[in-house]
Amino acid sequence: MMVEFFFTNGCGRCADERLALRRAAEALIPNLDWRDVDVVVELDHAVALGVLTLPALAIDGELVFSGLPSERRWRQELCRRTAVRP
Amino acid sequence: MSLTIGKLAVSVGVSTDALRYYEREGLIAPTAKTRSGYRLYASEAVRHVRFIKRAQQCGFSLAEIAQLLALRASDGACCGDVRRVAIEKKLQLEARIRDMATMSRALDVLIADCNAPDATSSRCPILDALDRQDTSKGGARKP
Repeated sequence: MMVEFFFTNGCGRCADERLALRRAAEALIPNLDWRDVDVVVELDHAVALGVLTLPALAIDGELVFSGLPSERRWRQELCRRTAVRP
Repeated sequence: MSLTIGKLAVSVGVSTDALRYYEREGLIAPTAKTRSGYRLYASEAVRHVRFIKRAQQCGFSLAEIAQLLALRASDGACCGDVRRVAIEKKLQLEARIRDMATMSRALDVLIADCNAPDATSSRCPILDALDRQDTSKGGARKP
């Protein structure tokens, strides 16, 4: 599974939660491919996925959260996609 | 020094109606009113309204400009917050540009398909094509 975390440098709320979300994902998904995507560097990619607000999260090329989910919602979404029980 | 709404409007090149609209939207406020009820603005209002105009030129809505003004007035706001707002606006503009390019390409196809510019409107290929596209939403599409 590939998770893309769309952020921009200097965005406080991006940095605050990024680590917690990544750790939660790594704990649930054994072969996780996590990418931090700076939208300034990859603007076209962000636009193609429909990213309009920051931070945002995409899973396997699909925009899933426009904004930060709670850790509980994040875990639920990952579990739903992997059919792993929380 | 206080400015009347008319003088402020002339100074910044906007109409008095626009200034009243900004006031209704909570973007500016007169510092005082005369006994007759005329609005009076501090000289700082010139800079404030120019800020609003420039932000509008960058595509920001009035609600977003209110957010920027709040960040500007906030001691706790950092440059990163403003940068994020600007980047989000850029993302929205790029998405609209992409959508409009798609629409433009769709029009290119219609225009190219119209090889009979003298045809009457009842046999206009562009109108026919738009009719076909409407029909296709219901399922069947004419060849």
